[in-house]
Amino acid sequence: MLFSLAFKNILASKGRTFTTFILSMFTTIFFIVYVAFTDGTHEQIIKNSVEIYTGYAHINTKGYQEESDYDHLIENSRQLETFLSRESFISQFSPRFETYVLLSQKDKTVGSMLSGIIPSRETNLSYLKKSLIKGSYLEDNDTKAIYLGSDLAKRLSVDVGDEIAMIGSSLDYSTAAELFKVKGIFKTGLFEFDSTSAFANKAYLDQIMLSENKASYFVLRFVDNEAAEGYVKTLNENLPKNYESLSWKDLLFDLVQLMQVDSLFGYISISVFFFVIFFVIMIFNYVNIYTRVRQIGLLRALGMTPKDIKTLLFNELFIITLFSVILGAVIGSWIAYYFEVNPITIPGLAEMYKDYGIVADVIPTRFDIPTIIWNTFSIFVLNISSIFYPIYKINKLSVIEAMRYV
Amino acid sequence: MKYFLSFIFIFASFLYGSEADIIIKEVEDNLRGDFMYAKMRMIVTSQREKRTVEIESWSQSDTKSFIKILYPKKDRGITFLKLDTQMWQYIPKIERTIKIPPSMMLQSWMGSDFTNDDMVKESSMIKDYDARIISKTSGIATIELLPKSSASVVWGKIIVYVDLQNKVPTKEIYYDDLMKEVRIMNFSNIQRHGSHNIPMVMELKPLDIEKKKNSTKIIFEIVNYDTPIDDSYFNKNALERYSN
Repeated sequence: MLFSLAFKNILASKGRTFTTFILSMFTTIFFIVYVAFTDGTHEQIIKNSVEIYTGYAHINTKGYQEESDYDHLIENSRQLETFLSRESFISQFSPRFETYVLLSQKDKTVGSMLSGIIPSRETNLSYLKKSLIKGSYLEDNDTKAIYLGSDLAKRLSVDVGDEIAMIGSSLDYSTAAELFKVKGIFKTGLFEFDSTSAFANKAYLDQIMLSENKASYFVLRFVDNEAAEGYVKTLNENLPKNYESLSWKDLLFDLVQLMQVDSLFGYISISVFFFVIFFVIMIFNYVNIYTRVRQIGLLRALGMTPKDIKTLLFNELFIITLFSVILGAVIGSWIAYYFEVNPITIPGLAEMYKDYGIVADVIPTRFDIPTIIWNTFSIFVLNISSIFYPIYKINKLSVIEAMRYV
Repeated sequence: MKYFLSFIFIFASFLYGSEADIIIKEVEDNLRGDFMYAKMRMIVTSQREKRTVEIESWSQSDTKSFIKILYPKKDRGITFLKLDTQMWQYIPKIERTIKIPPSMMLQSWMGSDFTNDDMVKESSMIKDYDARIISKTSGIATIELLPKSSASVVWGKIIVYVDLQNKVPTKEIYYDDLMKEVRIMNFSNIQRHGSHNIPMVMELKPLDIEKKKNSTKIIFEIVNYDTPIDDSYFNKNALERYSN
């Protein structure tokens, strides 16, 4: 009976119903879309960092992450290759040898991270080949060929075909020096990476650095990269004791934390908005209930208990909120899905925000059903909780007070 | 009485401060000289291996120096030129001279525990640090050096143990900004060369737990303070000219 009475009241107070409905619905839409854009951007930044170069997991010797020097190299790269090739959940892997060198052209000298890679294997593990903007990508039999980041090439004032000197330290700590020809220039959009990174064919670099059969680490790709954490755990159980495997979450720990903090601040900012919405709905309910105080007094006089009144008012808001958040969730989900498929493009965005890891001129959106469900549920709970104070106030009035209320 | 004691204390601190400055200046003047030629061996011990580098060096006061690598064969002919705070390197294998950029100043020099900054440092203990005597016995003074606010230096603090008779350091402890000990340099085998006393052996040991096996020992074989050095060593053309 209370439920049908609540329904009748909803239909009778069209203005109140409409306003509450619209407020709840728009709050739901706004929250879902906001979270979709925020999560989409964060996910994109992390994904870019993972897929452009870092990779989903690494294997290195213990201590390498703290001291990335020659004392922590993988000393028997081939043995580790044999081990990795036996693991069925690893789809691709490749060794990398990274060393800090000076690159010099005429009067310009800059410090750079020169990485020896196996070019053919790297195409499936990173965006290095895809990021080519000039010249050509490295090949497995290249000698004296160097592949430079676009900003590094700018810093050195070199173009494809130019010769640059490389000076570094080989594994016996003697000076390693070579003249390389710029074979290609790449641009990933990660500013720091593009301005400091250079690549050479590992087989040739090994001759110069005396790093044959050695590697700084192995980069891995799995059959299911979503399950990287679990695979890394398995690897750590099976690897020889001097080695460790780290997932992208460990490798990009600072970035992941930065994104979490950014999300947290985002939620704090948006909570101010929700706080306002909460009070708007509560005041609106409060005013509406007080305009019906004589009706409520009459219902009490006819035998309804304060508990019945509470249930009646609660049911009214429950019904309105339920339908409004469901509609809001449907519209919000559709918007999130639409922009995930057709992201908003703003020309020049990547250039403006390159320091933050934005590599494309699009604003990515993340359509994720579990996230949408908790977003919707949060708004629902927030709205429902706004009814308790008005109910408490109205039930404090006696029947006589309520009926005489002007 | 209280004011008198305060005055005595401040005056004593001032005197102690200036005495520390005098000691440090005497040490610097003794070690640097106007000209210095040296031939030395640098033994670098790391986790991977132990290697020896033979070096010849020419320097003029504290602003100009020229270094040539004699051994190992692979590095023979590599030359370094330091003019004030700038440093160039010539590599005969590729016949190129490069200027070491400021960003690489804290990188290792020739695989040793010394940095490029150690090689070029114009930083003078007397110019860049405020000196204070911590303790003084008959032969040894322990001096604390704290960087002056205007100085651009790497270390947060240096403690120097000075042999007062020979005016040479016997030990230097380097601290980082957080006042954590970073490295220790020990000096030994003091010999007199002309008008200067010099520790013929210097050993640098990083204190990082990851580098507990590392050390760099420099052993001077020939030292000459008394012969003027030609200016031709201290320009960029010298890098290639004196490489062979």
